[in-house]
Amino acid sequence: MNLTEEQILALAPDDSSKKSGKDLANPSKWVSKCVNEQALWGECQGSGSKPYQTQIDLGNIAFKCSCPSRKFPCKHGLGLFLLYARNKNSFSTADAPAWVVEWLSKRTEKQEKQTEKKEKPVDEVAQAKRQQARQTKVEDGTEELRLWIKDIIRNGLLTIPDKKPDWFNNMAKRMVDAQAPGLAGMIRNLGETNFFAEGWQTEFMNQLLAIYIIIEGFKHSASLDELLRQDVRNGIGFTQNQEELKEQTGITDIWLVLGKQSTEIDNITTERFWLYGTQSNQYALVLQFIVRGQGSQLALTPGIFLQAELVFFPSTSPLRAIIKRQLTTNSVTEFKGFDNWMQVAQAETSVNSQLPVRGERPFLIKLLRPVQYNNQWWLQDQQKKMMQLKNDHRYIWKLLSLTGGVALDMAVIGKEDRFEPMGVWYNNEYKIL
Amino acid sequence: MQFWDNIINVATIGTDKKTLGVEELSADLAGAGSIVNGNTAIDKEDKFLQLAALAFNYRQCGIMPFYKEGIELPLAPAEERNYCSAEANHILTDTLAEDNYSLLRLWLQGCIDNQQVLTADLVPALLAAGLQQKKLQPLIAVVCGRRGEWLARFNDSWNYSSGQSEEEAWQTGTPELRKILLQQLRVNNPAKARELLQQSWAEEDANTKTTFLELLEPNISEDDIRFLESLAGEKSKKVKDEALRLLKRIPASSIVEKYQTILRQAVTLKKEKALLGMVNKTTFQFSLPVIDETIYKSGIEKLSSKKEISDEEHILSQLIEGVPPSFWENHLSDSPEQIINLFQKSPVGKKMIPALVTAINRFRDERWAVFFMQHSEVFYIDIIPLLPVKQQEYYSNKFFDSHPENILNYAFRRQTEWGHELCLNILKYTAKNAYLYNKSVYGQCIYLIPDSIIPVLPKCMPQEEHLQSSWSNNSAYIIKLLTLKSQIIKVFNA
Repeated sequence: MNLTEEQILALAPDDSSKKSGKDLANPSKWVSKCVNEQALWGECQGSGSKPYQTQIDLGNIAFKCSCPSRKFPCKHGLGLFLLYARNKNSFSTADAPAWVVEWLSKRTEKQEKQTEKKEKPVDEVAQAKRQQARQTKVEDGTEELRLWIKDIIRNGLLTIPDKKPDWFNNMAKRMVDAQAPGLAGMIRNLGETNFFAEGWQTEFMNQLLAIYIIIEGFKHSASLDELLRQDVRNGIGFTQNQEELKEQTGITDIWLVLGKQSTEIDNITTERFWLYGTQSNQYALVLQFIVRGQGSQLALTPGIFLQAELVFFPSTSPLRAIIKRQLTTNSVTEFKGFDNWMQVAQAETSVNSQLPVRGERPFLIKLLRPVQYNNQWWLQDQQKKMMQLKNDHRYIWKLLSLTGGVALDMAVIGKEDRFEPMGVWYNNEYKIL
Repeated sequence: MQFWDNIINVATIGTDKKTLGVEELSADLAGAGSIVNGNTAIDKEDKFLQLAALAFNYRQCGIMPFYKEGIELPLAPAEERNYCSAEANHILTDTLAEDNYSLLRLWLQGCIDNQQVLTADLVPALLAAGLQQKKLQPLIAVVCGRRGEWLARFNDSWNYSSGQSEEEAWQTGTPELRKILLQQLRVNNPAKARELLQQSWAEEDANTKTTFLELLEPNISEDDIRFLESLAGEKSKKVKDEALRLLKRIPASSIVEKYQTILRQAVTLKKEKALLGMVNKTTFQFSLPVIDETIYKSGIEKLSSKKEISDEEHILSQLIEGVPPSFWENHLSDSPEQIINLFQKSPVGKKMIPALVTAINRFRDERWAVFFMQHSEVFYIDIIPLLPVKQQEYYSNKFFDSHPENILNYAFRRQTEWGHELCLNILKYTAKNAYLYNKSVYGQCIYLIPDSIIPVLPKCMPQEEHLQSSWSNNSAYIIKLLTLKSQIIKVFNA
C-alpha cells in the first residue's frame, strides 16, 4: 500500500510522535530496512544495546516494534514508514526474517480466530433482570432530566451564561448514575456552549431540544418503530453488542477513508473515521476508543482505500459501523457523490424527517470552490449555490491555495447550513485539509 | 426565520413570563402545533418544548443552499516556472518544522536558483512562516510564485507576497517591511536603495530617517556623498550624526579629506644619517598643526583620558582612525610593509597602531589587513574578518586557545563554512560551555558547520560528567540539522 507522507503522519497518535517519527525517517538511523509484498521491516539503533525491530503489515496497516514505547504506532514505526514513502529504492527486497514471519502469521491466525469466535452462553434470566433494572434507572433519570430542562425553560435562558460548569456537570453525573451516558455527554456539550458568541441561544436551544426529543422518544419507545427505537436507545447511551453485530452480514465494498477526527477526554482518545463506500455509495462512521497507553486496533488514514465488510448499527439512517473483515486494496475507484448542494439538502431533509436528532454527516460533492461573501467563506457549487464554511480558520488557506479559484471535488462534513471540508481531490490525489 | 426568532425570544424570557402561540410558528406547522397546544395533559413548559422541537426539525428539514448572483473568485494565474520536486517539498516541510532561519534561507535560495516554485499545498505554510522570518520575506515571495501573490489578495498579513513593485512596497509597506526592503536593495542595488530613500525622505520622521540611514552602511560609496552631505541642514541631531558617521566611512568625503590634509602636515618623514653617516635612517615626525574648530565639531575629542597618551597624540590617533590606510601609501610614497615598519619603530607611531587597525576595519581594507597581519609584531584579532578565508582559518586556529571568545565572536559572523579544524576547536569549546552555547546557538550557526564534522562529534564530548548529557542532545541536534542541510543541497543540485 502506497501512502503519502501526509497520510502516514495522520496515523501518529500525537504531535510529538509526528516530530520524532520525522527525525527517524533518516537512513542513517536504520541498521537494516527491507520490504516484501506483505510487510516492511527494519532495525533501528536506539538507546539500547540491541537495535529495535520494527515491522509494518502493508496489507491491513498495522505496526509492531520491540521498543518500550506505549504509543501506537511508535516513532520507529512512523519513521520507517515515512522513509519508505520518501525513498522506496533504499529498501532492499528480501525474504522476511523469522520475527516478521512469526508476527504476520500470528495476525492472520488472530483474524481467523476472531471470525470464528462464538459467544459464551448467556444467563438469560440474569440478563433480563439487569436490563429491567437499567430500564427503570434510565426512566427515573430521564424524568429528573425533564424537570431540569423545564426549569430552564420556565426561568428563561438569560441567566444561563452565569451558571458555573458544575451546574451542568452535576446533572451530567446524575445521568451517569442513571446509566444514561449518552445523555450525560449531551449535557456536558450543553454546558460547553460558547456563551460569548453571538447567537449562542440558538446553539443552546438546538442541544437542549435534542436532549428533550431523546427523552420524549424514550418515554414513548413502545410506539416507535424498531429502528427509531434503537436510535433513541443509542442517544440514551445503551450499547450494542458488537459481537452480535459481527455475526450479521454487512456491506462489502471498497471504502475510501475520507477523514479522521480525534478527541481526548479523561485519557480516552476517540478516533472517528469517516468512510465512503465507492460501490454502495454508503457513508460510514467507524469509531475507535483508545485508552492511553494501550494499542489501537485500527490504523486507518485519510485517502486510503480498503476492501472491507462493514456492519452498520441498526438505525433509521445507518451511519455508524464496525469493520467485520478487512482486506487490502490499492485500487482507486471512481466515486459518485453528490453533484450539487441541492442534492445534499434533499438528502439531509430525507434523513432529518426520519431521525430528528443526529450528528454531522459526510458528503462527497463534485466541483466546489471557496468564495467570499459578507466577510465569510462559502463553498459554491456549479449552480452557484453556496453553503457557509465553519471553523474555516483551520483550513481555509490550504483549501484556497489548492483550488486557486478552480472548483475541485471535495469531501465535507456537517449538517444543516454549515460544513467543513475534510479533503479535496487535487491532481488525482486526495489531499487532507 | 421569524418563527425561530419567536422561539428564541420566549426561551430567553422564560415560559413563566411568555408563552408561545401556534400563530408564531410557520403556517406549515399550524396543524401539528394545534395538536400540541390542545394537549391538556402537559404543562406549558412541555408544550413550549414540543412546539420548539417541532420547529427545530422543520428548520433542519427546510435548509436550502444560499444563492446570490455575481459571487465569484478570480482565478489564480498559472505559474511561469516549474514546480519543485516532491522530495524538495518533504524537505521543506521538515525545514519549516525546525524553524531554522539559515536552513530555510538555503532551501529558498536553492529553489530560486533552480527557477522553481513551490506547489500550492505548501504555499500557505511558507507564507505563514514568513511572518516569523521577516528577513526571508522577499525570497519567500519569489518561491510562492503566482499562487502566493493570489493568496495575498485575501490575507493582508501576506501582502509581502502580493507581487508589488519595489516602489509600491516602499510606499505602502509596514515599517518592518520597508526596513527589510531597503536593507536587501542596498546589498543588490545600492543606488536604487538611496534613490528610494531620497524619494520619501521629506515624509519620514527623525527616528525613521536615522534607522534607514544606518541601513545604507553596506556598500557605502562616493555616490552617496552628495545625499549625505545635504543632510547637514537636518533639524534632528541624531540624523546629522548618523549622516556624518557614514561620511566618515567614505574616503572621498570632504570630512575624510580634511583629516587627510591635517595628517599630511602632522606626520612627516625625517631622513637622518646613522652609524657615523654610513646608514640612512628614516623616522616619523609627529607635529600637530593648528586645527580648525570645525574638525573638533566632527567628533574629534581634544583631551585624552589616558595618562600615557598626550592630548596631541590622542587627536592624532583619532585622525589616523578616520583616514583610509591607503592614504599613507600616497602621502609617504612607500609600501604598506615599510609604513607598518615605520609605525612600529617610532615611539609615538607605536601608540598609533591601534588607530591604524581601526582604520583598516573602518574602511574594510582587505589588502592592508593582509600586510598588517604579516608585518605586525602584535596580533590584532580585529583584523581577522578582513583576511582571506584560508588566513582567517589559520590565525583563528593559531590563537583559539588564547582568545577563544573573540575568535568565536568573529567565527559566528562568517558567511562561509568553517574549516574542519576550526569547527572542531569551536565545538569542543562550546560543548564545555553548555550554558552559553545551547541548541539555539547551534541552530543559528548550522550553515557554518561542515558535514565532515559528523563522524568526529563524539570527540567534542566534555570530560565533565554534568556536561555530557547536554552535549549528547546538542550533537544529536547538530546531526539532525546537518542532515537536513545536506538534503537541501542535494535536492537542488541533483
